[in-house]
Amino acid sequence: MATSSGKRSLKTFYYSWGILTVVGVLLAIWIPKRYMPHMMSNDGNLSVTTMILFSVLAAPVAAGVYAAAIHVLRHDRYKGDGVPPAAEQVRENTKLTVTWLTVSAVLTVFVLVWGLGALAAENSSSGNPLVVDVTGQQWVWTFAYPGTHVVSNELIVPDHREVEFRVTSVDVTHGFWVVNFGVQVDANPGTITTIHTTPDKLGTIEVRCEQFCGLNHAFMDAVGHVVTPSQFSAWLASQPARA
Amino acid sequence: MIRSRSLGVALASVLLGGGALALAGFALATATPHQTPLTCTPVSGKAHTCSVHLSTFPDSLEGVHGASGGPHPDWVTYSNDNVVVPAHETIDVTIDQYDTGGAANNPFFDNVIGTNGGFDTVNGVKTTHVGVNDIGHTFTIRGIPGNGKTLFVSIPLPANNSNKFPVKLGIGTYPKPIVVKFSFDTGGPTVYEFNCEFPCGGSRLGNGFGEAMSSYGYMSGTFTVQ
Repeated sequence: MATSSGKRSLKTFYYSWGILTVVGVLLAIWIPKRYMPHMMSNDGNLSVTTMILFSVLAAPVAAGVYAAAIHVLRHDRYKGDGVPPAAEQVRENTKLTVTWLTVSAVLTVFVLVWGLGALAAENSSSGNPLVVDVTGQQWVWTFAYPGTHVVSNELIVPDHREVEFRVTSVDVTHGFWVVNFGVQVDANPGTITTIHTTPDKLGTIEVRCEQFCGLNHAFMDAVGHVVTPSQFSAWLASQPARA
Repeated sequence: MIRSRSLGVALASVLLGGGALALAGFALATATPHQTPLTCTPVSGKAHTCSVHLSTFPDSLEGVHGASGGPHPDWVTYSNDNVVVPAHETIDVTIDQYDTGGAANNPFFDNVIGTNGGFDTVNGVKTTHVGVNDIGHTFTIRGIPGNGKTLFVSIPLPANNSNKFPVKLGIGTYPKPIVVKFSFDTGGPTVYEFNCEFPCGGSRLGNGFGEAMSSYGYMSGTFTVQ
């Protein structure tokens, strides 16, 4: 049972908790929008939304921990010499325990369901995707478009059409990461891994390797563009036939 | 007294650690290619055009790696890992290919990509690709992440399977080279990387991308446009 002085001192804990929560929520909203890549696909937008939502939900939890730390450092710090005497033991607080467990369980189940839903959305297909065969090798990405003669070191895809990336490697494991689409998957030798996304904005995209793969891993990137369907057709037709 | 001493030790440790990190970062940031720059020579009679001349050797005996081939005399190598060319010019490149070869990991690199006209010449004969089992090396230039440059030039250098070695360079003897010529436009100032995409570098992991392919100064380098 808290004493009257204890109740007064708890006010600083609640104030700290409230202020830190507000700051955390504001940062959780601002930082992803400011520092995450410019997203140009449904999965990229979902990634940013997920990051913001999870951070907002985590903000009061983190703020509570920091507020508690500030509280005990301010009020319960031992200032004497030698070994401090044993503090008063609080063995149980049913209301706090039930509240803490319930809130934690609800938050955990929510993020689990949300995460599984987001993962399922990333792996689902609408049935008529544009297929791009992606090959990683030390230290270049190449992109082939089945049904055409085109193989390119640039990734060109049309706007608002689902793309199925079939990803593999001819040497070591690479990490295929289309930064602006918010999708990434390992490129493993001897295995084809598929991943889907639908571009929803025109512009330049960047492809990087996100698995350390050797000497020039840091330079293993490729540029690409999301273009209109007519521009995509024109680009395919303009590409030279390669042996 | 004990507390202030501990605080002092802690602060000194943090400062020393920070200083070591800053020193390492400075050393990395100012690191430069170790070979003497290979600069571009103006081509008389052709405006805004200059030429560079490289070679690919089956060993490191020719001299750029030091006396007797340096630490790895049996490693394949380009003749220079530090090429410097002017911006907004056409670069005429000549590569003398002295090494044998085989099949690349990816047939994409059998093709001539990114040159003016989309072709090169091999011993004077115009071509756009090399046979799938006839690659000696490639000369592949590409952009560095984040610099916004999109230059991509890749040239297949045919395998040199001659069994006569009449050419003496340094302490090495080599076959008569296959001469590959091509040109491309540089665009604005930046630094590119170039490397070989043929698995010519020893058997690390069995894929030929070890040794000379995994060490700067042999089958990779910087291509500076300034």
